[in-house]
Amino acid sequence: MANSSNSRPDFSGQAALAGIAGSSSDNPNGGDAGLVFREISHLGKLNLRGDKNLAAAIKAATGCPFPPKANQFQSAGERHVLWLGPDEYLILCEAGKEKQLEDTLASTTKSSQRYAITDVSDSLCALALSGPKTRAVLAKGCGLDLHPSYFPSGDCAQTLLALAGVTLMALADDEFIVICRTSFAPYIQRWLADAALEYGYQFVA
Amino acid sequence: MLIITCPFCGPRDEAEFACGGEAHIARPLAENKISDAHFADYLFMRDNPKGLFLERWRHSAGCRRWFNVARDTVSHEIIEIYPMGSLPKKASPKAAYKASWRRDTAAEKAAVRSPNKAGGSK
Ligand SMILES: [Zn+2]
Repeated sequence: MANSSNSRPDFSGQAALAGIAGSSSDNPNGGDAGLVFREISHLGKLNLRGDKNLAAAIKAATGCPFPPKANQFQSAGERHVLWLGPDEYLILCEAGKEKQLEDTLASTTKSSQRYAITDVSDSLCALALSGPKTRAVLAKGCGLDLHPSYFPSGDCAQTLLALAGVTLMALADDEFIVICRTSFAPYIQRWLADAALEYGYQFVA
Repeated sequence: MLIITCPFCGPRDEAEFACGGEAHIARPLAENKISDAHFADYLFMRDNPKGLFLERWRHSAGCRRWFNVARDTVSHEIIEIYPMGSLPKKASPKAAYKASWRRDTAAEKAAVRSPNKAGGSK
């Protein structure tokens, strides 16, 4: 109540992978690395419980059409709204914009509209993956069919990657965002580096 | 490994799911007094049949939603998947529901609001 500032206080907290140095391994077959990945530090993440009556408010707050279909996401620039369940969504936004987004949502909804929004930015860690072997690397630890014809860009899924719970987002054929628990982030980082060894990788700290 | 079709997410690996045990166990209402022995039917007694079984499952690593599954515990065949709070529609799961010993228990009867108390305490 005392603090009505529109931005998050500061980013003095460490990023999830702050302690892990950049690393790489050459592609044994020559050419570019099969996988390039980095943490998207402090990416804003908001868990939303609500239904399609929030469509106008979500559009106003994020620019994204709402609701996305099951196991898909909608985007508007850097903002994304992911389907997590029949009444549950994950909103991704620029670092520091979470509070502003919550406020916009509050001001564009009527008091009769029931929803819950929770800032989970620091609970989850987002990794940006790209490179020609992105899907091949993920497929090593994931039971989903990740072929582009079955999991095209615009699809998302909560699933297991190397036995850790993750949310996968396909941005393009060779571009993914992987969201995992912050406490699992170092494990996922090491697993990805190991799984990508045979294709060559670059982890950008 | 089973492939289980989540009603919301579609077919996924069994590893993404958690089995919640026997389905259709209704909690006796506080207003209907029953003996501890009868309450134990609700609280402790669980079936473990060889063959068709009605179970609750949760897509724990996915959408985290609960649903019901009619599964054959011998062949692992999944006969029907249906929403929480509803009964199966196919013949054999329907019959299994009807045939369960639980249908005749005092605990299950006590899970229904007594007509003379309808509209009473909420
Ligand atoms: Zn599901």
